[in-house]
Amino acid sequence: MSEVAVAGGRTAWRGRVGTEVQPAGAKLDPRRALQLVLAAIWLLDAVLQYQSFMYTKAFGQMLAGTATGNPSVIGRPITWDATLVEHHLVLINTIFATIQLVIGLGIALRPTVRYALALSVAWAAGVWWFGEGLGGVLSGAASPLNGAPGAVIIYALLAVLLWPADRNALAPCTAARAVGAPMARGLWLVLWLSLAYFALTPANRAPQAVSGMISGMESGNPGWLAALDRGAASLVSGHGLAASVTLAVAFILIAAGVYLPAPAGRATLVLAIVVALVIWVFGEAFGMIMAGGATDPNSGPLLILLALSYWPLKATKGKAG
Amino acid sequence: MTPAWILDILAALMLAVAAVSVARLGLARPWRKGAVVTDTDVSHLFMSIAMAGMLASGLTTLPSAAWEVIFALLAVWFGYRVVSDARSNGARALAGGHCAPHLVHSMAMLYMFLALAAAPGGPGMGGASASALKYPTLAFAFALILAGYTIWDLDQLSGKRYSRAGASLSLAGVPAGTVPALAGAEPGVLVSGALVSGDAVVSGDFPETARSEARPAETTDAGAAPAGVTAWLLSTGTTVGCRIAMGATMAFMLLIMI
Repeated sequence: MSEVAVAGGRTAWRGRVGTEVQPAGAKLDPRRALQLVLAAIWLLDAVLQYQSFMYTKAFGQMLAGTATGNPSVIGRPITWDATLVEHHLVLINTIFATIQLVIGLGIALRPTVRYALALSVAWAAGVWWFGEGLGGVLSGAASPLNGAPGAVIIYALLAVLLWPADRNALAPCTAARAVGAPMARGLWLVLWLSLAYFALTPANRAPQAVSGMISGMESGNPGWLAALDRGAASLVSGHGLAASVTLAVAFILIAAGVYLPAPAGRATLVLAIVVALVIWVFGEAFGMIMAGGATDPNSGPLLILLALSYWPLKATKGKAG
Repeated sequence: MTPAWILDILAALMLAVAAVSVARLGLARPWRKGAVVTDTDVSHLFMSIAMAGMLASGLTTLPSAAWEVIFALLAVWFGYRVVSDARSNGARALAGGHCAPHLVHSMAMLYMFLALAAAPGGPGMGGASASALKYPTLAFAFALILAGYTIWDLDQLSGKRYSRAGASLSLAGVPAGTVPALAGAEPGVLVSGALVSGDAVVSGDFPETARSEARPAETTDAGAAPAGVTAWLLSTGTTVGCRIAMGATMAFMLLIMI
């Protein structure tokens, strides 16, 4: 902050405007930078949880809806939780929002990073079950275009990968610093291969499946976004299988990328970022935030953040990503 | 609807920011000849009063049109400052400069008043229906940027506060003629080449000009190193804390009104 450079942010109105010299700021550690982006997303989630929609019965019904199609051992607790939320809507939703606020602010404040990340893992696990019905993984409703395997589980994954500990001083990427390279690569592989699998499930490869999912995002969004969705939906209309296979191939390439030499690895990470952007814009319509009633920005930005955490570090340039 | 008591709590927070800004302006004594007037405190004051009025209709002060003019002027001012800052410091001014966040704050406030004035419910969060806000894409974009600045401020604040040594900033090699901004600095204490100002410690080999420019700030503004509440009010942490509170509240208001 230049307040420091000019000693306190009390900039002289009558001074030589624009002549303040900013300090040569210390280079931000890549992991800290990624933690801060994660914190900003948590803060955004918290604010979204305070929206008017979340204080209506529709929120409880939305939670109850995630029980559909799940085994009873998973679905019953969701229904119980949804009923509880409906009965104590204001109190429980405020607690939910505040927990997310605490996580976001906690990650941003350096002394509390560890506590906040630990809390975020526990919170994400709970929300994955009670709020997202395990992301539709067991119900067959999961699709990479609508946030499978559950956006919130990627928050937990990021918290683990960005944990402020150094297991390996020569880690090839930020994600490998806390858990080691083999584990980081394994987690990446499992995530992207699971996305490839979900892209090819019968429900998602049906002729109108992809098109229907994209066109379903039009409602309530601004005109330009609705038009984009309409165009994309008409482009893949009737080509569900081709679209699913294309997505699955891209996911498999991305999954394998961390085992490839650095240049190819970087190319697959760029592909991951592009695919995540496409998913976020067309499949998720920015998490439907602009339509109102969204609880989070969905999986797109988290996948981008995840890809960035696997970007090869300069010190170990030349090693496999 | 979002419970009124949540809006009331945020309105109270904004009033607290307004009170702090008034106190800081009072301590700066802008009416004295040669005194320093702080644009950030002035903008904090306006914004916090305006936001309190939007959050709680009972706290409404000026009509929307007046606020639109005020925030348009502030946006122009901070826009000018950002451009000047960028000329001196390059694109880094956009990310690390203190004017860029205030420019975004001013523009977000202007947008909120314009978008709400155009809405059927008129200004004030109680009167805005979920679909009334015009150009929700802008609200989303502003909310994202504000959330980013808020988190960045929190990180910088906690980093400096908890590791003073690590936050030391070298002024070695700074051209003498480029330091006069220090004259408008917070009252600080120059100890062995280190200017202690608020939470930050600026150390290094001071050019003689920097030393001489820094001294008046400590003597003409306060006469002696401030202590207690005054020191707290004048600290960098307080300014940044106010900005964090306003940034987070503004992001909240923007997303609530989508």
